[in-house]
Amino acid sequence: MFSMFTVRKNALALAAATCTLVLASTPARAQDAAPADPNPGALTITGSLDVLNQYMFRGIRQNSTGVAAWPAVDLGFSAYSGDGGLKSVGINVGTWNSLHSGDTGTDGPSGKLWYESDFYATLGLGFGGGTSLSTTYTAYTSPNSGFTTVKEIAFKLAVDDSGYLGKGAVKPYVVIAQEFGTDVATGQADGGDNAGTYMEVGVSPGYAGSKASIAFPIKVGFSLADYYELAGEDNKFGFASIAGIVTIPLGSTTSFGAWNLHGGVEYQALGTTTEFFNSGESSQVIGSIGIGFSY
Amino acid sequence: MLRVRRVVARWCGACLLACVIVGVSASPAAAQGSADPNPGAVTFTGGVDVLNAYFFRGIPQDDTGVVTWPYGDLGFSVFSGDGGVKSVGVNVGMWNSLHTGSAGTDGPSGKLWYESDFYATLGLGFGGGTSLGVTYTAYTSPNGMFGTVKEVAFKLAVDDSGALGPAAVKPYLLLAQELDGQADGGTNEGTYLELGIGPGYAGSKASLTIPVKVGLSLGDYYEGLTGDETFGFLSVGGVVTIPFSSMPTKFGSWNIHGGVEFLMLGDRNEAVFGDSSHVIGSVGLGLSY
Repeated sequence: MFSMFTVRKNALALAAATCTLVLASTPARAQDAAPADPNPGALTITGSLDVLNQYMFRGIRQNSTGVAAWPAVDLGFSAYSGDGGLKSVGINVGTWNSLHSGDTGTDGPSGKLWYESDFYATLGLGFGGGTSLSTTYTAYTSPNSGFTTVKEIAFKLAVDDSGYLGKGAVKPYVVIAQEFGTDVATGQADGGDNAGTYMEVGVSPGYAGSKASIAFPIKVGFSLADYYELAGEDNKFGFASIAGIVTIPLGSTTSFGAWNLHGGVEYQALGTTTEFFNSGESSQVIGSIGIGFSY
Repeated sequence: MLRVRRVVARWCGACLLACVIVGVSASPAAAQGSADPNPGAVTFTGGVDVLNAYFFRGIPQDDTGVVTWPYGDLGFSVFSGDGGVKSVGVNVGMWNSLHTGSAGTDGPSGKLWYESDFYATLGLGFGGGTSLGVTYTAYTSPNGMFGTVKEVAFKLAVDDSGALGPAAVKPYLLLAQELDGQADGGTNEGTYLELGIGPGYAGSKASLTIPVKVGLSLGDYYEGLTGDETFGFLSVGGVVTIPFSSMPTKFGSWNIHGGVEFLMLGDRNEAVFGDSSHVIGSVGLGLSY
């Protein structure tokens, strides 16, 4: 994978959060008549299918032509919840995929659609004040051999400050990811010489109404070490991104869960290495539309 | 895909589900008071199995190293009623085969992920336990060991346990047509017929299923040096399933299962494999929610 993992996770998270917020903002009368929870157990299923004009992974371009389609499914286990210092423990496993019609897919040398398939497992810990810490192992694989498998462990510290700031919440987070099991030009997002260490800092302010929600995720990706290598030099700045994502629930929660339609536009300003991978262009605009599902 | 697997995996899953359901019905009334963790219309079934060999419908895939099958299925119960059509369901899922042997990490690709299948099923339930399922499957090989095979399959099954109780044999018929690509690597897309039964016994602590099936080519499914051979394989298995609990928990119903399958191969598959039969052992973990 040369990736946008955070964007796609944002989309899933936003969709789920929107559903939650929309339900929370439903008038009392409607709440009285709300259907019973179709899934009161400790497992949740989240899925989505997005279509994009461009796939960038952390600022690194993955395709030059055609469209990308992202089918994804996540299974979440709510392992613990309590009132102590540790409020919750959750485990998620899932698969995320990127199907390409262009030069890295069916029109490319492999002739095959399935460019990327990621498997991940996350252990998430929830603390007071909306703070959470999650640890994720991801294996990024390429069924059509568009890149070599990248193995990564990532830590994400996030604060959901909507409890304090209400609609002014910015939901800041920081991600640090470490590649491992690499070799020269093998097992690395940048195809470089050494395993990289990546840091991402972001916020995700937004507004949720009864009919739709909008979010404005902003993030910056850096190399802490060897993540954006180019000709033997590691360039620290990878990309800065600002996006607007609108999510529209498709009706209320039914026995089939909560479904939504979402779409957005993202602008990425690229650093030296990512600009090189982007054919010398210093920015990229990405449009996306998709359907999401939470049960 | 050189391949027998999915039917075995589906047997395991079906047997496990049946076991869990029967196990639940045999639970004390007091225990039955537990709330259903998932009363909605979406179900998840998944699991992981480990085997010593992988045959697909009698076609040898790999008998070196260890084979691991992770899989997951999402089911949508679209309709249920009292008319001629009792139920309509849609399932989508993924099934995978990871190999450490000659078709995987020890093979020419050096990669573990030998097979990944995507499928979508429309299932119709009728009276008398009769059901008809139509499944589209794309069999792909992430490590490039075989070309993608696209197939549509029709399965007619009868759950006769309502009429025969513990003596039920649960017969089925599966008819599959390759649309593009071929399991046998031959010259023409093949048509496959499978006939099977799944008798068994379900107790409160465990269940035992004895699946028996025969795989036949109706046209070009088992192409060999001497043309298409009709008989592909005969299989007899024994699968034991042990639920982790007598009732579904908030995490669903989990089980451990294991089994042995004896395969007798037709001439074409024998020629490829180098032996006329093989024994496959498996053990796995299953989840239904």
